[in-house]
Amino acid sequence: MEEPAAPELLRLADVSWQAPDGRLVLDGVSLALAPGELAWLRGPSGGGKSSLLRLINRLAEPSGGSITFLGKPLAGWEPSQLRRRVGLLPQSPVMLPGTVEHNLCLAFGFKAARGQAQPEKQSLRAALDELGLGGVALGAPALGLSLGQRQRLALARLLLLKPQVLLLDEPVSALDPESRELVEQTAAAQAGAGTAVLLVSHQPPPGAAAMRRLVLDRGRLREEGP
Amino acid sequence: MSGAVPIGYGQLALALGFVVLAGGASLWLKLGLGRDLLVGTLRTVAQLALMGYVLVYIFALNRPWLVLGVFAGMIFFAARIVAGRVKGKGVPVFWPVFLSMMLSYMVVSFLVVGVVVQADPWWGPRYFLPLGGMVVGNSMNAMALSLERLFGEVKNRRDQVEQLLSLGAEPGEATAGILADAVRAGMIPSINSMMGVGLVFIPGMMTGQILAGADPLLAIKYQIVVMLMLVGSTALGSVVAVSLARRRLFTPGQQLRPGPLVSP
Repeated sequence: MEEPAAPELLRLADVSWQAPDGRLVLDGVSLALAPGELAWLRGPSGGGKSSLLRLINRLAEPSGGSITFLGKPLAGWEPSQLRRRVGLLPQSPVMLPGTVEHNLCLAFGFKAARGQAQPEKQSLRAALDELGLGGVALGAPALGLSLGQRQRLALARLLLLKPQVLLLDEPVSALDPESRELVEQTAAAQAGAGTAVLLVSHQPPPGAAAMRRLVLDRGRLREEGP
Repeated sequence: MSGAVPIGYGQLALALGFVVLAGGASLWLKLGLGRDLLVGTLRTVAQLALMGYVLVYIFALNRPWLVLGVFAGMIFFAARIVAGRVKGKGVPVFWPVFLSMMLSYMVVSFLVVGVVVQADPWWGPRYFLPLGGMVVGNSMNAMALSLERLFGEVKNRRDQVEQLLSLGAEPGEATAGILADAVRAGMIPSINSMMGVGLVFIPGMMTGQILAGADPLLAIKYQIVVMLMLVGSTALGSVVAVSLARRRLFTPGQQLRPGPLVSP
């Protein structure tokens, strides 16, 4: 007997994107992600992976096709609300001057967070511990952290928003094997808790063979399995 | 008032000697500034002569629409100069600059002439045009500095702006720090001149009044008003211009607009 299809969280239909210089970066990309799904996306550099994530986070508009989140076109969402629910971790996360705590709580100071309580110190601590940042003090200056630590801090900051879709753009590129495993475990745990995760990585994550695998090459997306 | 010693045309011609001196330096050091010096000298003479005749005409007619029209014309040219200076950044800024200059300089000039100096009528050309002109001339640089800083910082800190957007910040929130930096950059020169005035330099207006035979103490009072009004107009003008220009950097979907400021 077939399982009932999971409700769709995100759908891209025939999406294309032309860069301002006229280059066709994405060409007819179609993709659907269900809650709890973890998909691994790879492809050569310059193949359009980051551009694809930017379109889903609505940092850019597609030149053609449509993207819907929870059945509603992205343009129908308030941009700030959409971006909190479809979270993007960019390749080089930026930290603002200030403490680790300030950076973790950044998003709770915006208008879009009105009515949402600032996370307590305990949950901030837990968010850091989960990503192997147990040794980092909340009061430490964020700009003093290493690149790998900043990358994990940025992931912790994003997870505090409890996004429904998680777009991770090479989150392990600057990490040592141990931290890399922690991040990949976190991504899997998020998927286990119902978040749809799209993980861009050159290296196969653990369990890649059994995972939904996507390849983006010269702007075209193809599925490899499982 | 005894009035200034009159300068005849012959004496004016003597002043050309200074340009010859500068031209000599240009020739000697091969600066290649000869042509610019010539054009600059001709423009100085022609523009000021024209302004002199226009002022005589305006003083004689003494009509508010004419005074305000000339003031608007000065702002138009100032806005063109500023827009030209920050051109090449891919964001058209003429209208933000023009509107913010119009608003802030009008308010400041009115407050200075009508409320502080209490000239009657407030649009009286003898007060409104020179004081308003000083507001326009001095704050123009501040506005150009602010806008240049705004565009430069958005370009340099593009990743930061986008990351804040993607954490749910609205464009205003994502660029709050940049806006503050931009306004600060515009205000620093006028704050610096408040520090140096009377110690390092004697401002042009005060010099002019003293040369024209005014009581130095009266000249000082006017100069204090001018220095303070310049700080006010600089702050107001920069805040409005930078806020309006910032809107042009974002699309209605709250994305940084693609273009020279934003590579894909």
